[in-house]
Amino acid sequence: MASKQKNMTPQQQKYQQLQQKHELKRPVLKNCIKAFWVGGLICVVGQAISYFYIYFFNFTEQSVGNPTVATMVFLSMLLTGFGVYDRLGQYAGAGSAVPVTGFGNAVISAAIEHRTEGFVLGVGGNMFKLAGSVILFGVFSAFVVALIKTLLGMWGVL
Amino acid sequence: MVYIIRLILFVSIFLMSSCSQGQNEKDSQLALIKTTNPNPTVTEENKGQDNAEKIEKEVESFDEIYDVAVVKGKKDTLVVYKVKHMHRFNMKKVEKDLNKILEKKYPKENFTVSSDYKVFLEAVRLVERKNNGKLSDKKAEKRFNEIVKMTSDMK
Repeated sequence: MASKQKNMTPQQQKYQQLQQKHELKRPVLKNCIKAFWVGGLICVVGQAISYFYIYFFNFTEQSVGNPTVATMVFLSMLLTGFGVYDRLGQYAGAGSAVPVTGFGNAVISAAIEHRTEGFVLGVGGNMFKLAGSVILFGVFSAFVVALIKTLLGMWGVL
Repeated sequence: MVYIIRLILFVSIFLMSSCSQGQNEKDSQLALIKTTNPNPTVTEENKGQDNAEKIEKEVESFDEIYDVAVVKGKKDTLVVYKVKHMHRFNMKKVEKDLNKILEKKYPKENFTVSSDYKVFLEAVRLVERKNNGKLSDKKAEKRFNEIVKMTSDMK
């Protein structure tokens, strides 16, 4: 950064200072609060769905995660299609992107964006553009954790 | 944003109205979100009720546990409990300690211990139906064995 400033002409440096003076500051705390309450609300909905499955179906606390995640992703896909999740994303930022619902949003928004390029190369080819990396790193980290757990189990630590 | 707020309001009003119906009906309806502490029950009447009560008191004495259901069948004794929120990090330890103490104090009993919400809910439902006379001893024992099997399948 310092070397960059050295290479600048005095006029450029002056402009830089002026620009910094007028630059809008990011409301970090406000964004955090928004992300916290919307993310928390999504988790409450998820908890309610898992209780629903425990109460009305034959799922235990251990196995209820799968249908809950599937339902949450499906709901966020629908909301993305209706254009509601985009607004929520603009308002809450990470609060709507970090929970599993963000995954559904990433898949469907990419599919909608590229639908003009055709069904196969457009939708099919770009659907997992962002979500693909989530799957890859998710599967890989699950493999590493399972490997560590197996080894610890073999050594008698766990 | 207005749509979202309307949706949240609609859902919360719907949930609140559906929760208030028939409040005094059953404990099992809210067993997942409130403390029920059902009376210890035996599937075969007049057999081992005292023991089941003693076991329930023993389990309740644990600081980490706040809601207990004990159901005693012909062979097994089902002990289901809820763990206080901050102690849920030590679920395995609580289960291990509980098993140890119960097996030490009641060596003749065959315990099935679980902290799963589903097993708790099913145990409360079984207790309720048994106490209301909706289940005969035979049917209660059958359902009890199904719950015990479900618990052992999870492990």
